[in-house]
Amino acid sequence: MSAIRKTLVTAAVLALALGAVAASAEGYQDLKEQVREFTLPNGIHFIVLERHDVPVFSFNTYVSVGSAQEVTGITGIAHILEHMAFKGTAEIGTTDAKKEAQAMKAEDAAFAALKAERLKGDRADPARLAELEQAFTDAKDAARAFVVSNEFGQIVENNGGRGMNAGTGTDDTSYMYSLPSNRLELWAYLEGTRMSRPVLREFYTEKDGPVTEERRMRTENSPIGMLVEQFQNLAFMAHPYHHSTIGWMTDLNTITREDCETFYRTHYVGRNMTVAVVGDVDFDEVKRLAGKYFTGVSSAEPPVIETFDAPQKGERRMVIEDESQPFYICGYHIGNWAHADAAVYDAIADILGQGRTSRLYERLVKQDKSAVQAFSFAGFPGDKYPTLLAVLGMPAKDVTAEQLEAAVLEEIQKLVDGGVTEQELAGVKRRARANFVRSLEGNMGLAAQLSEYQGKQGDWRLMFEQLAAIDAVTVEDVQRVAGEVFVPNNRTVAFIKTVEAAN
Amino acid sequence: MKRILKTAAPVLLLLAAATLASPALAARSKPWEKIKTPALGEIRLPDYQRVQLDNGMVLYLAEDHELPMIELSATIRAGQIYEPEGKTGLAALTGEVLRSGGTASWSGDEIDEKMESLGAMVETYVGEYTAGAYLSALTEDADTALAVLAEILRSPRFAEDKLDLAKTQHKAGIARRNDEPMSIARREFSRVILGPDHPLARNEEYDTLAAIARQDLADFHADWFGPDRTYLVVIGDFDAAAMTGKIEAAFADWPAARRPLPADPVAPDLPRTVNVASKDDLTQSTVILGHKGIRNDDPHYAGIEVANRILGGGFASRLFNEVRSARGLAYSTGSASGTGWRQPGVFVAFAGTKSESTEQAAAVMIEQIEKMTREPVSAEELRTAVDGILNSDVFNYDSKREVLDRMVLFEMNGYPADFLTGYRAAVQAMTAEQVLEASRAVWKPERLSVLAVGNPADFDGDLSRFGAVNTIDITIPEPKLTLEIPAATPESLAAGQKLLDRAAAAVGGRKLADMKGFATKQTLAAEIQGMSLNITMETTIVLPDRLKLIQKLPFGESTQVLDGEKGWVQSPMGVQDIEGADVAKMRDQIQGDMLMLLRDHSGRTCQALPAEELDGKLCERVYITDENGDYTLMFLDAATGLPVMEQSKGEAPMTGEPVTQKVKYDSYKDFGGVQRPATFTILFDDEVFATGQTTSFTLNPTVAAGFFAKP
Repeated sequence: MSAIRKTLVTAAVLALALGAVAASAEGYQDLKEQVREFTLPNGIHFIVLERHDVPVFSFNTYVSVGSAQEVTGITGIAHILEHMAFKGTAEIGTTDAKKEAQAMKAEDAAFAALKAERLKGDRADPARLAELEQAFTDAKDAARAFVVSNEFGQIVENNGGRGMNAGTGTDDTSYMYSLPSNRLELWAYLEGTRMSRPVLREFYTEKDGPVTEERRMRTENSPIGMLVEQFQNLAFMAHPYHHSTIGWMTDLNTITREDCETFYRTHYVGRNMTVAVVGDVDFDEVKRLAGKYFTGVSSAEPPVIETFDAPQKGERRMVIEDESQPFYICGYHIGNWAHADAAVYDAIADILGQGRTSRLYERLVKQDKSAVQAFSFAGFPGDKYPTLLAVLGMPAKDVTAEQLEAAVLEEIQKLVDGGVTEQELAGVKRRARANFVRSLEGNMGLAAQLSEYQGKQGDWRLMFEQLAAIDAVTVEDVQRVAGEVFVPNNRTVAFIKTVEAAN
Repeated sequence: MKRILKTAAPVLLLLAAATLASPALAARSKPWEKIKTPALGEIRLPDYQRVQLDNGMVLYLAEDHELPMIELSATIRAGQIYEPEGKTGLAALTGEVLRSGGTASWSGDEIDEKMESLGAMVETYVGEYTAGAYLSALTEDADTALAVLAEILRSPRFAEDKLDLAKTQHKAGIARRNDEPMSIARREFSRVILGPDHPLARNEEYDTLAAIARQDLADFHADWFGPDRTYLVVIGDFDAAAMTGKIEAAFADWPAARRPLPADPVAPDLPRTVNVASKDDLTQSTVILGHKGIRNDDPHYAGIEVANRILGGGFASRLFNEVRSARGLAYSTGSASGTGWRQPGVFVAFAGTKSESTEQAAAVMIEQIEKMTREPVSAEELRTAVDGILNSDVFNYDSKREVLDRMVLFEMNGYPADFLTGYRAAVQAMTAEQVLEASRAVWKPERLSVLAVGNPADFDGDLSRFGAVNTIDITIPEPKLTLEIPAATPESLAAGQKLLDRAAAAVGGRKLADMKGFATKQTLAAEIQGMSLNITMETTIVLPDRLKLIQKLPFGESTQVLDGEKGWVQSPMGVQDIEGADVAKMRDQIQGDMLMLLRDHSGRTCQALPAEELDGKLCERVYITDENGDYTLMFLDAATGLPVMEQSKGEAPMTGEPVTQKVKYDSYKDFGGVQRPATFTILFDDEVFATGQTTSFTLNPTVAAGFFAKP
């Protein structure tokens, strides 16, 4: 009885879904036609979408630089640089830029001497170390005397700014906030000058304080955070997805301001930057102001990554023994966003582990009650480069990660052996459409999406074409790709095994 | 997962950053101040309609045709504040199973399938003071989604299996609640501020979850949900008149909530307490200070908002300057003013810091708060704070949803629709004296309670300089009263009946079936609060409803009798009647006796569970429940069929605390064809309470006339 009812519901849904393709395409086509763009000679690409309902605007500066651009010794530096981008310029954040520059030089020298002694390890001279520590502290204080700290943030805030934030990932770094629309020129000044000529003041204070404590909070003091980091370390061996965005603790200890300046000069170049401005602005005015304030950004050619992982030859596993509750992750290597099967990866991840009707949720959460969460997604830790399709599971009370794993692998095998149904795939396509429409709401979200598509994939129009790619996926594609991806040799597993506290 | 977003990192919900203006500023050129700021374009309120339906429901509707979507949110005056004591978790479970448990027409799984195949969302929740629902769907699916949402709110099914599922998830949440320091801080701080008895400060535990039954959810829903206390905000691609008609039709026959709205529980004004929650694997501490604040219609509302921006709410804040930048004490710090729309808010200052600077961070924060109540803020600080508030005012109007949600908030809590206009004017006219006055009136440094979560072994002080330190035990209480029982199946129920038939045959067979009553004498050697006591118990039962129990203790003797309808008790204090619930208890005592259970178990649910070894003996297990939800878990010797142990809910003899009671039957003796335990052991929460012996047993005793009569 209930089986018949299910089929009827689904048939009706399919009919609706087909009808909807034409209907809802109309809604965002207008939006697409209103997008305008220009490129400065240094390579920065600007995307402008005018929306005049409310006198406010949002922007997103997308820099195509993340922790994947880091090499051993400077891991975590992309994230440190993101923090430094709030410290101001030669005009903002200082009482005397020239004297400050001298003081910072002395500070750098003091740190270099201290670092050299520290790196001697056990052979370091304790007295000399103490002396150098003191000299470094004094030099930091001397430089800080010229600092008007957080002036950049204060200016944004006093002018009514909202949502000031930034984020660093493996693939990119983004900066964003919103302002009343009569502050457009102020914004262009603030953003243009910090992208062109940032001053990395309070470098050591910020790195050894907030950045280091953020690492502690995310790893040492968070069992799941620690697991995710080590999972990533294990899954990638050669490619820089190997290390986490927060960086190795020892690198955080030894990175210098000079390292950070070099990283900035190499990667914060016009060709790596896309700025999207969405809201109550005038296209010509944005263009004029961009020409006035953003020309200082370098026009150099950015480097490209040349090191990638060899195909995996056997399963990799690790177990973290901890007092905390269990947690399970596994991942399979897949291609990047540009791979011909990219949309198929998304479809597989959706059917396997997204939403209340996904296979993992139905089996683990609803049926077995062995998990409280089960989730999968394509693109961990990023998707600019070859990446992972990851499955995460949070076991229910008194269930171990090993017990959960058995059921997870069983569901994956079912997908390989039996493929997916047309109905499941129709659901994927419909959800993709609805989620896409939702993602167009609000200036901030639009600016983020437009700039990311342009910055990462080279054309913001692909944002509107993603649905066509998903719509083209067939059940045969899903089974073929599942068979290629879900093989044990391609798998990395990491989990937390709960142990009693060792007293 | 992928990005490190700044907002995701800092402790609590507050932003943090900034420093004081340096005195050397005067000579600087500030190019940004020379940039012209044209007049801001007009801020228009979005077009909207307010409609009140005949059933009392209030609608706020705004059309928006930019995207082919509709969005609806419902706010209902029903929340955790109405949750009964002992059932903590009921409100949240109701909010979850409302959606997952299905409706009269559709199961929860059918709704999942319906919504997910449309890419639509329908969600529900019960929060602290309000409950709500949310819907988002493409325009063409709006009618389907609305029908589902209406039925969820009107006639939820609260399916038992989905309640079980939700409980499984909550139990995992309890097991994990000490894994992340922030979750400890959030939970314990509300107990520090509200006191342990406030409904919002109670902890959900395994036992409070176990006490919640399906009917509790149905009652919570019927008691508190209804159109008379529901507000809908609907925004998107629709025609407002048509949408009003659809909503009216969808909710027309929804009955009003059963119970009138009680007054909100009031948070007490508590004196300072100093609290440490210890977790010894942490390298960082979370330090939170706070006390009860004010409602937003307090005359000092605008003043305290400006004051808080200066203290710890913005980029120019003193806390950030002193605690983070100047002293490097914390990686995150900030404050919340302590204002609330419905109930007074909570004034909070917090810092995330290294373990070694825990006490210092608390001291500096208190010092900065004291300073706010001691001297006026500088003209520069005042100007910066006022500018920031006024310049960002336009963002109060940048989304239709925000504007309409605020209207609902104001209407529900008795604020005028133009409340923000008055607030803006007050901020504009704000003086340093008013800020000082507000700080003095609202912030009381001597009343700030302190909570530190971290590893006290590494603290720079024991915090006793702030007051007597109370150590919070965050150990998660183990379930005392609950068992993990799989769902019954027809097979397991039939098998359970069979096992009990076999046990009955082993104990007495025909004799048991024909039993009219019995008399038995048992001796107990008990340990009560370190004392050893010898007790003799003489029990006489005449079926169906007469019982006499004589207990002899070293310091006296008591007799309890149930004579059909009435009961009495005789003790050294005299004779008293037994009435009401205590009569029912005595009746249960007859029915709960092992012989009675075995003799006739047809009226009970008897579910066979997988066999288990107990003290080296393989035992079949039967889980027996009655209509009150009380259970007996019977362990039966797989070889002989005789009961080996009975487990049930009991009461601790002195305190009356609920405990798990186990009676182990260590050896049997034949009394005229009936097997009775020769020796047995009674355990409360797995600790031995007494050992006993059966010294005599008579089947179908002859009872003298007047044996049950009241003296």
